[in-house]
Amino acid sequence: MEATHDVLVVGAGCAGMRAAIEAHDAGADVGVISKLHPTRSHSGAAEGGINAALGNAGDDDPEKHTFDTVKGSDYLGDQDGIEILCREAPGDIYQLEHWGAFFSRRDDGKLAQRPFGAAGSPRTVFAADITGHVLIQVLYEQLVKRDITVYEEFFAWQLVENDGRCQGVIAWDLVNGGLKTFGGKTVVLCTGGQGRIYRVTTNAYACTGDGMAMALRLGVPLKDMEFMQFHPTTLYPSGVLLTEGCRGEGAYLINKDGERFMQRYAPNALELASRDVVSRSETTEIEAGRGINGSVLLDMRHLGAERIIERLPGSRELSMTFAGVDPIYDPVPVRPGAHYHMGGVDTDNDGATELTGLYAAGETACVSVHGANRLGGNSLMETITFGRRAGRAAAEWALSHTTIDVPTSAEADAARELGRMLDFSGGERPWQIRQDLGSSMLDNFGVFRYADQMAQQVDYLEELKERFDRGVVIEDKGDVFNTDLTSAIELGFCIDLARCMLQAGLARTESRGAHSRPRDYPDRDDENWMRHSISRWNGDGPELSYKEVRVTRFEPMERTY
Amino acid sequence: MDVGLKIWRFNRETGDRELREYEIDAPEEATLLDCLDIVKDKHDGSLAYRKSCRMMICGSCGMRMDGGAVLACKTRIYDVVKDGHVPTISAMGNLPIIKDLVVDMAPFWAKFRAVDPYLRPGYQEPPHGKEHLISPQRMNVIHKEALCINCGCCVSECNAMESDPRFLGPQALAKAMRFVGDPRDGHKIDRLETLNDEHGIWECTRCYFCNERCPKGVDPRDAIAKLGAESMKEGIERDMGAKHAKWFVHSAKTTGWLRETELVPKTQGVVSAIKQTKFALGLLKHGKVPPPFPPHVAEGVGESRRLYDLVQDQGVRGYDAIVQGERALAKLEHMHDEDNGRDPFAEGTLRPYLPDEKPEEIGGANEGMGSLTQADVTPGEEPTRKPEGGA
Repeated sequence: MEATHDVLVVGAGCAGMRAAIEAHDAGADVGVISKLHPTRSHSGAAEGGINAALGNAGDDDPEKHTFDTVKGSDYLGDQDGIEILCREAPGDIYQLEHWGAFFSRRDDGKLAQRPFGAAGSPRTVFAADITGHVLIQVLYEQLVKRDITVYEEFFAWQLVENDGRCQGVIAWDLVNGGLKTFGGKTVVLCTGGQGRIYRVTTNAYACTGDGMAMALRLGVPLKDMEFMQFHPTTLYPSGVLLTEGCRGEGAYLINKDGERFMQRYAPNALELASRDVVSRSETTEIEAGRGINGSVLLDMRHLGAERIIERLPGSRELSMTFAGVDPIYDPVPVRPGAHYHMGGVDTDNDGATELTGLYAAGETACVSVHGANRLGGNSLMETITFGRRAGRAAAEWALSHTTIDVPTSAEADAARELGRMLDFSGGERPWQIRQDLGSSMLDNFGVFRYADQMAQQVDYLEELKERFDRGVVIEDKGDVFNTDLTSAIELGFCIDLARCMLQAGLARTESRGAHSRPRDYPDRDDENWMRHSISRWNGDGPELSYKEVRVTRFEPMERTY
Repeated sequence: MDVGLKIWRFNRETGDRELREYEIDAPEEATLLDCLDIVKDKHDGSLAYRKSCRMMICGSCGMRMDGGAVLACKTRIYDVVKDGHVPTISAMGNLPIIKDLVVDMAPFWAKFRAVDPYLRPGYQEPPHGKEHLISPQRMNVIHKEALCINCGCCVSECNAMESDPRFLGPQALAKAMRFVGDPRDGHKIDRLETLNDEHGIWECTRCYFCNERCPKGVDPRDAIAKLGAESMKEGIERDMGAKHAKWFVHSAKTTGWLRETELVPKTQGVVSAIKQTKFALGLLKHGKVPPPFPPHVAEGVGESRRLYDLVQDQGVRGYDAIVQGERALAKLEHMHDEDNGRDPFAEGTLRPYLPDEKPEEIGGANEGMGSLTQADVTPGEEPTRKPEGGA
């Protein structure tokens, strides 16, 4: 065994680093395993901000934040979890500030807050439009300060279960090659989302749902897999994110005629309606022929050069680099793109999963505080608040138990499997399957969902699975920095997760949040469907069951913006 | 679009190094990173490089193109290859290569760690457990340093690190400035003391390659200058570099020239200067240095002195002075842009309107909708001016 720690954290984005810091401060010996250096994590790409009801820019309190989030979730969020998030968020923000986070300020010296979609008050704390970057930096700084062990560029591939407990992780050492086994009394999964299942996505290449897939294969249930959020403003053609902060600062969405079409869909909130609503409106406009090149336009010109340069410099840089458009002078082409996965590993409010010793936090997890649709600015907050809670819970459990027992057969089995993958020749290269997966998911399981397309996609995924299982050719046979191998493993993860998503989506005969079936089930059906989908691996595929939503104080109401 | 790439391949296990050429077909909007993906997927799966966000924020894909560091994801390949150029791609400099375009970042992170890269709070606790109260102007002193994504492009190009690998280097020093300039940090003097040690700020040769190659506008060389200015403000000027800089100012103020004969003893000390007498005489013989006496006073020295006094009178010292200059320059640049920039709402561009308004009622958005003092113009009639102060 390479090493053992009280707590193993897999993934080093905001949730992973926050969990590691908390576990360390609780007295546990912590090891972090990440396939990227921590500051390369995709949390760093979050732009617009992080929500906490500080009330610096307007009348606000955690109660309002809770209501907005419950409503935004289309009443699928677990309300006790949402209450925890909104209540603990301000303290977590102040702590980040005390650690040195470089947030934007108001003239009175307090933290600045900007309006965001579907929020009743300007609640989003931010650092220009590089909030995620600033958080990643401050968390990494704190990790360095504590001298927490990080196994950088180790690709976590399998979890080890023994004695009914999760007790370790088997990882591929990217730099030196070879499988390495890490033992842990508890394991916290913080590996992020799986946007790479889609061809058009804001997500990094690294976002392949590794943690969810590892948990799934161990028999740990995933929750609400059908809910993939499409962000309304991803840049055409590359799909990189332009923050909701653009609209928070006052940008318009216009169609090819210049019409601010959002008034027809969300007469009160206009451009700042909830993300699912805006993405559906855009798609409707584009499908009705009022788009340009399959896009609509994000118009910031009226904000003026000074405000754009001060508040949205990153968005301007991205627009100029990837679309050749300077938003000071021209509207920017945008379209909906896969952005955030509301579902994930089913956890309680302390990040604990069904399997003893296994925890999850961040986008990997599904507490669920986002329900069927996440509000902008809530995911960064979730990574911090629930990263901290999961780290604390994992440390406490670890410190009250002593043994780690990882059978040597686990690594030997993994090594045999790996050998088979590397030895295979004569089949197709993984990129073909990856491309087919991405395009078909976008076509058949996107913003709007139709029964026939979903059914077709279910079959197609079986076919992709078969192609993958038949064997793919890994051209790189070497040990050193073999990303040809790891990207093939990631593809396998993606296919498994896509199957869960489709199965749950086809079964959910209603429209709720990001799951919209305009033809056959256009309405929300609280009587039958105010419940979570649970996906569990049964050996060769996912199996569906359901779980009640935890309601505390907010009974479902009609949701308009 | 046909793209040719020459890529330096390297195999650590065998030590083999080889320049290999690839011909690929890439879409016009492709970046260098997209092209590498095409090579890896369709031509040679063994090519190794780092990547993740592909949106210039994770800092993974630093590498060299035609000898200079770039972020692969930020580099539009069309501009590079449109005239038939075949760029040469190689790993970053100043860091050991692991494989192909992947370098070992361990030395880079060791430097990062060496500057205590985390806030060391002072004694002042923020009130009521809430945030510190800091004005935007004060906080934004470090905004450029806060943009750093640790990609390593500056380190790759650093000439001083090439000659002294122990030099802290541009990214670690920019990180150091991020804390020296943070009003919440309580250890500015300790930090400056350490940064003034050997291999610290004064080892920078001011070649400005780091500024030029930084893909995020951090301008590490300027961060180093800020640290130097702040050190001198705090009286930390024991290093030869600080003395050198100080003498430059003194020399320019007094005679308007750089008096090199005096520079050496002032910077290096009398003993060291005497040891170099022979060298100095040689220079003198060849007319490379003017005779030290009588000192030559420049004609426009009055202007030089006035500039010096002007800066002194402002009383802005240390990094604040450099930040003030940066802001002034940015403002000038911005005004320059506005003068030359086109009108975003020029004829023929889209004018945003709400569906319940008719577009013709909106008018030129640039003029301000529904201006009360503007002239009404009906074709064929004299314009009517609205009364002063509105209708």
